[in-house]
Amino acid sequence: MVQVVVLIPLVVAVACALPIGSLARVLAVLSGLLTAGCVAAAVWLGVGGGPVDLYYWAAPLGAQLAVGWDGWSAAMLLLSGVLFAAGAAASGGIVRPRAYFALWSLLQTAVAGVFVSRDLLLFFAAHDALLVPLALLLWGWGGADRRAATRRLAVMWLTGSALLLTGILALGVGAHTFSFATLAGYRLAEASQVLLALLFLSAFAMRLPLFPFHAWVARTYVAAPAPVAIVLGGVLSKTAVYAIARICLPLFPRGMADLEPYLLALATVGALYGAILATRQRDTRRVIAYASLAEIDLIAVGVFLATPGGLEGALIASISHGLVVAILVLLGAALARRIGSFGFGPGGLGARAPVLMALFVLAILGLIGVPGTSGAPGQLSILAAAFAVSPGIGLIASLVPVVIAVSGAGVLRAVFFGPPAVGGLDLGWRERGLVVALIALAVVIGVVPRSVGDLAGRTGPALSELRQ
Amino acid sequence: MSAAELGALVPALALAGSAALATLLAIPRRTGPRALAWLGALAAAAVAGVALANGTGAASPTVARDGASAFFVVLVAIVTAVSCVLAAADPRRIVRSKDETALALIAACGAVVVVSAVDLLVLFVGLALLTIPLYVLTGRTALAGDEGAVRHFLLGATSSAVALYGMALLYAATGETGYAGLGRATHNPLYLAGLALTLAGLVSHVATASARRWSIVINVAVSGALVRLVAATASGEIGLDWQVSFATLAGVALVVPGVAAVAERRVRRIVGYATITQLGFVAVAVASAALPAAAFALAAHCATALGLFAVIAILPQREPVLEDLAGLARRRPVVVLALALLAFGIAGVPPTVGFLAKVDVLEAAVRAQLLWLVVLGALASVGTAVACARLVLACFAAPPLDAVAPSRMRAGTVVALVLAIAVLAAGLAPGPLLDAVQAVHF
Repeated sequence: MVQVVVLIPLVVAVACALPIGSLARVLAVLSGLLTAGCVAAAVWLGVGGGPVDLYYWAAPLGAQLAVGWDGWSAAMLLLSGVLFAAGAAASGGIVRPRAYFALWSLLQTAVAGVFVSRDLLLFFAAHDALLVPLALLLWGWGGADRRAATRRLAVMWLTGSALLLTGILALGVGAHTFSFATLAGYRLAEASQVLLALLFLSAFAMRLPLFPFHAWVARTYVAAPAPVAIVLGGVLSKTAVYAIARICLPLFPRGMADLEPYLLALATVGALYGAILATRQRDTRRVIAYASLAEIDLIAVGVFLATPGGLEGALIASISHGLVVAILVLLGAALARRIGSFGFGPGGLGARAPVLMALFVLAILGLIGVPGTSGAPGQLSILAAAFAVSPGIGLIASLVPVVIAVSGAGVLRAVFFGPPAVGGLDLGWRERGLVVALIALAVVIGVVPRSVGDLAGRTGPALSELRQ
Repeated sequence: MSAAELGALVPALALAGSAALATLLAIPRRTGPRALAWLGALAAAAVAGVALANGTGAASPTVARDGASAFFVVLVAIVTAVSCVLAAADPRRIVRSKDETALALIAACGAVVVVSAVDLLVLFVGLALLTIPLYVLTGRTALAGDEGAVRHFLLGATSSAVALYGMALLYAATGETGYAGLGRATHNPLYLAGLALTLAGLVSHVATASARRWSIVINVAVSGALVRLVAATASGEIGLDWQVSFATLAGVALVVPGVAAVAERRVRRIVGYATITQLGFVAVAVASAALPAAAFALAAHCATALGLFAVIAILPQREPVLEDLAGLARRRPVVVLALALLAFGIAGVPPTVGFLAKVDVLEAAVRAQLLWLVVLGALASVGTAVACARLVLACFAAPPLDAVAPSRMRAGTVVALVLAIAVLAAGLAPGPLLDAVQAVHF
């Protein structure tokens, strides 16, 4: 069952080599939905999930093709399936569609590989390989600044990956295994735990991005085509959240505890810094980029706290943030099609496009975490956990949603209010359907957050067991 | 020559015989250089089969016939065969010379002697046999023509002379030329100086060879000779510690090209820098005393570098720069697919064989407590990866209006594609290759 989530997008990628024309997009949407459906069905029925040791990929190296999922990865697979489907659906009218969707499906394959790997070398292979289709998508289909953006992204991520590889090899050679299952019972000396945690975190901090490794964020969001931006903010940053929660915390519990104050400080400062930067932007993509940086660093606070509440909040907030980023990017692109640029335009669009405005307001409410939207339960859980550990951290972290609210309100006021605009049509049915579907999902999670929490409990060890 | 030596030299003799045959066949006016190159490819492929069948056998005092020599001989033969196919298919050769195939086969014969030599004199004979034909081939193919050949010749001859000087010192120190006699005078400064000079001479043959498909044979031969020399002097009662020397060498070979490749615009140079980084990983494996890892990395090097030189052969420019790749994605998507797989293979990006080779070597380095070298190697491969990514991304740029169409070189495309698929397949299922390198021992 587990293999299916990797194989479906891979088959689609191969199929794009055939002359299938515009069918590629339909296949890409289907592969996303099918992956999500498979995971949902398997979790619901309680089957599959693994762990499955397929075979020794490269036995003398110790690399094993072991796959499986637990609660967190199942949730992430669901999210990535939905977002890849949404991104593919939003990729209408793209040039060179077959190449685009082949790379898109390869990216989906690699992301699924990250979430199902149960072997560190296999995890690293997927984690590193996903940069290839991502860089090609950015370079081939990005905006004006795409080259510099791709270069910066590649250099930063590859540097992180190089240090991660060093850490994985040092750990694996010492433990004589790369398998998660065997490594779970392996305990290192405290000093080596700190060193290895730093090596591992250097890669994940680049991907989150954790302050101060965020230099690629705004540039990449601006240069990326909208579907790629959805995946970048919605799914790829979550691979790092997942990796810290599922690899760093269980493997280096003491090391992460020693590093916790510094990591918490960086994440909290980063969250506030991103939120403040978001208020100063005059470009919707940059607002989304910095608001997203703030949210992700807030999620990182939850993960670094490593308390049950913090971790559960981080998981729920991850899913919520993925959906909200997708909605915001889609609405930003729709807005840009109406105004003609990603700037805020002359304002007064609200009179012409009430549905767009309503959906935009809902998305921003979700981003801030107003109760009833998906943002609330995760964020509240993280903030409560932060207050329990350190009131200072909790206080600064609770400022973040407020500052994000300021930037969101700024966008709303500049774009939608003021004297009625002359041009601009409201959202079409296709745009509307996609966004409304995503918002419906977000509201369901906001109203029944236990659905996600139960998911975590259903297929894997409870999140609270992580720290033992 | 004893029976054991004769048995060990069967591949070399077969290659020398093919070279003689190629020279004879070149005399009639009707045989073209293309047909000769195809014949050379067939002969080299047959020698690969012969070497596989020849297997291991009795040891002789001058020439080895063990797992390592079999592996390196097969590698040399395959590289020569593929290079001959590329030579046969290369459309840019305006003046085709018929002696090219014979020269390539003689060089391969020299390479076979070098990788199986266990005597300093045999090693030097093999080295001369390997390098002198390659100077001529450089003169034939380099854009600079005679100047490039003269430069290659002067630098190469100096390297050979340095190596010979070192061998003479080793003879003076030990009174023997066989590897078995090496190290009897460990604390003699003559001995250490001799080893250092021999090592320097051999390694600088790799550094001075131009970034062309023929130079891959030199890389294989020198690596094969070095691991044998290291094993001969590091084992037994002598126990010379090579770790620091090779770790230093590897550090330089990883960092310098890793940094230089990032800003390079000439395609051939980017590939050249990437190959030096790969050889740096081979040196890391040697420093970690992991022979199978070194052999694995060398095999990955051969496949990826040959494939990239095949791609370069398809381009219309003789010395292409990145801008010349523009538009290739639209005109030759298959070539770009192959180029992408090979470039990511040479840079060690998963899921290619280059990644596994890198992991294998770095695992060995971790075991040998060379953690600084692991960090250096991993970071250096970032530079290579960025440079190789630029190669791939340059293919997607819009071509200039007056661009010359790349040639319809079917054999070159097929070679590049086959090697690219091999690089991917060996990355996904490396079992057979890993089993093969386990058999590499002395």
